[in-house]
Amino acid sequence: MAGFLLRRLFASLLLLYLVATATFFLVHLAPGDPTNLFEGQRINREQREHLRHLYGLDRSLGEQYVRWLGALVRGDLGFSLAQQRPVTTVIAEAFPATLLLATAAIGVEYGAALLLGIAAARRRDGIADHVIRFASLTLNSQPPFWIALMLVLLFAYVWPVLPASHMHTIDADLMSPAGRLLDLLRHLILPALALGLYNAGPTLRFVRGSLIEVMGMDYIRTARAKGLSERRVVWVHGLRNVLTPLIQLFALTFPQLLNGAVLTEIIFAWPGLGRLTFGAVLSRDYPLILGITIFASALVILSNLLADLLQAAADPRVRDA
Amino acid sequence: MIRPIRLLYPILLAALLVACNAREETRPQPPQSDSAAAQGTPRRGGTVVTGWTTEPLGLNDLIFPTTAMGNEVLFRTLQHLVQEQPDFAEHPATFTPQLAESWEWSDDHKTLTFHLRKNLVWSDGAPLTAEDVRWTWQAQIHPAVAWDSVYMKEFIRDVEVVDPHTVRFHFTRAYVKQLLDVNEGLILPKHAWSKLPFEKWRENPDWFLQNRVASGPFKIASWTPQQEMVLVRNERYWEKDRPYLDRVVLRFVPDAGSLMTQLLNGELDFIAQVAPNDAARIRERPDLDLVSFWSNLYVLVAWNGTRPLFADPEMRRALTLAINRQAIVDTLLPGGNGRVGVSPIIQSVWAHDKTLQPWPYDPAEARRILAAKGWKDTDGDGVLDRGGKKFSFELTSNAGNQGRNDAAVMIQQQLRQVGIEATPRILEFNTLVTDTRSGNYDATVTGLTLDTSLDLSGNFHSRSIDIGDNYFHYSNPEVDRLIDLAASQKDPAQALPYFHQIERLIHNDQPATFLWESQRLAAFNKRVHDARPNVQNGFFNLKDWWVEPRQ
Repeated sequence: MAGFLLRRLFASLLLLYLVATATFFLVHLAPGDPTNLFEGQRINREQREHLRHLYGLDRSLGEQYVRWLGALVRGDLGFSLAQQRPVTTVIAEAFPATLLLATAAIGVEYGAALLLGIAAARRRDGIADHVIRFASLTLNSQPPFWIALMLVLLFAYVWPVLPASHMHTIDADLMSPAGRLLDLLRHLILPALALGLYNAGPTLRFVRGSLIEVMGMDYIRTARAKGLSERRVVWVHGLRNVLTPLIQLFALTFPQLLNGAVLTEIIFAWPGLGRLTFGAVLSRDYPLILGITIFASALVILSNLLADLLQAAADPRVRDA
Repeated sequence: MIRPIRLLYPILLAALLVACNAREETRPQPPQSDSAAAQGTPRRGGTVVTGWTTEPLGLNDLIFPTTAMGNEVLFRTLQHLVQEQPDFAEHPATFTPQLAESWEWSDDHKTLTFHLRKNLVWSDGAPLTAEDVRWTWQAQIHPAVAWDSVYMKEFIRDVEVVDPHTVRFHFTRAYVKQLLDVNEGLILPKHAWSKLPFEKWRENPDWFLQNRVASGPFKIASWTPQQEMVLVRNERYWEKDRPYLDRVVLRFVPDAGSLMTQLLNGELDFIAQVAPNDAARIRERPDLDLVSFWSNLYVLVAWNGTRPLFADPEMRRALTLAINRQAIVDTLLPGGNGRVGVSPIIQSVWAHDKTLQPWPYDPAEARRILAAKGWKDTDGDGVLDRGGKKFSFELTSNAGNQGRNDAAVMIQQQLRQVGIEATPRILEFNTLVTDTRSGNYDATVTGLTLDTSLDLSGNFHSRSIDIGDNYFHYSNPEVDRLIDLAASQKDPAQALPYFHQIERLIHNDQPATFLWESQRLAAFNKRVHDARPNVQNGFFNLKDWWVEPRQ
């Protein structure tokens, strides 16, 4: 097991290094640089060169890379050129918001997928099954930003019961803790729905398909023959075998959500990583772009590593392979 | 099967969440008509909630790029010596006292003395004196600070503290922009910010947020990045009984559609930029008001003068004649929100030559000029050619600006009528900037702004080809001479004849086809009174705003 762990750890670190290096060079290959932030102001060539020197952009690309890599090894992600703050601080501020949104969106996605997927599987080829599958396909066919805009239009304008943006109402800090929590949940509803509903379609179809397959197995026939209620057969015996692959799916998709849903966060002014990334790219904020990429890659790689380790712990064939 | 009763649980939870609303949300209603407030008597107190698509980058405008959003905030918390008024339509902009209550010039116009108000105090109680003014100038020109507008202080030789309330600027020469250059940059708190050496300013930008003080009508109470900033009344502001408002909340909403929705549902009281397409909807609402003013931004097609196709002024005039600019304006800026551009001195400023008319739409004349230059469709493919080369080029515009993208497509269609093949290409903004700056483009739909100094040297003087923004590569020695002559006048009004001559020469040479000038639209809830946003700032007279209570 120790050998397996070391091998996977080494492979993960190597992958992280390759991703970081590729991102570094790709970002610097794009036209423009952070001095474009001053576009529209009349800074002369000398000043632009001075700023490039301040930002370290006048060094050769190789030297910039070596310096950047050295800092990265020391845990220093550098300084955001647009915000003029440490990258780690900027990311640390934004990540909790993304974590909250991702968690809520996953709840919507899997909650809807389980309830409707099970309902569809139990009514296979019936009207309800067709309606559910059609709805899931329709939702998944819409761009996520369109779903977000329609939710804002419906629930913040036509029927204004929910806020259109932000995490809190003004003066939320004057509320009681319970009031503040409820206020946060109110603001979370629409962005979580926008993100969760869009992703629920494929998950729903996965649940439906897996359950249909499981419900045809011998042990299910045995459970029914024992006289168990249909509800117990489905929810206790059938669902158990669907959950295992569903958990693996969750382990793979959740980190992607943690990277931030750019369009959703922009529409709802949600202060997460996605919105931060968008701004960083537009302003060619190299350190912030690289910092976010490293962070996001590390999340994905770590989650895959954990999933592999859990699987290896459960299945000796995996760790001996 | 899911029992129906269990479906009630999420519904009940949703109802609870909706009901637990800390803010009264009702359908927007027009303000009460019988209150004293509605009759025009300013009322002290209240909160205005405003919406913006961007947020400031930082609180020290010497180390952050200057942005319009940053100015909205900083101009309310810190102040200038004098305030430039937006009255430049009929005469050069006037200046009114701000921190300085009066000022006078020496006879040779090389010395400018300011007399500061006697009651100036920073928000932490420290006095604001001439020492702050001098120290601010020292910060502005310090190489470690590397302020992006330091070029404006080029001709200031020294800043002298005569006494705590008198400060004197010494110039190396007299020129037309002296007062503007002196006034550029907010007066900073020496007692608070000199604790950090200039060399460390760029390494510690957060420090200024933690050590902020204010001299303006408001001070920053809090700033939650990517969410909101809250300004509160500065009780030590020098102007008695101002500001009226207790608080101004700036909510950052990057999506313009969401911003509009929040104005319409009453969550926001003011937004500074409304798209022309939304104007009609706002005008229909009894609870909202729309304000329009001519922007200082003008949109043009920049022709790269180094390309053989665009090197000849007569060819560029032919291109202008072939473009139906009125149709573009009518389509993209309906309802009178735009007008055809004439020259780089926009029509809303005093120095524009009102007798100068835009080139007409005359495709027949365009064809005649092109034919005279040897451009004919010899192979019958509908595209002119000469010496085996087609009249074909790329017309770029930046992604995200739908108006310019649409204009490029319309221009393509119009130029096709005269046998010119223009291929629109949408580029990401930074890529477009890099290509344009390096001369790696044929023609581009872009925008320029004209500041009140009317200094055209940055875009139209030949020396700005290498070190400025003359990316047309336009060079006319007479224009150069006139620009320098205008800049050397002590009084802007004396430069008027030169501005007119410059206009006519550029109008004749057409280094760019001036497409349109447009109105900017701002919208606010009618509970907000005395708001006068203008081209300089949406918050221009924020200290005079007052509000009725929310219903």
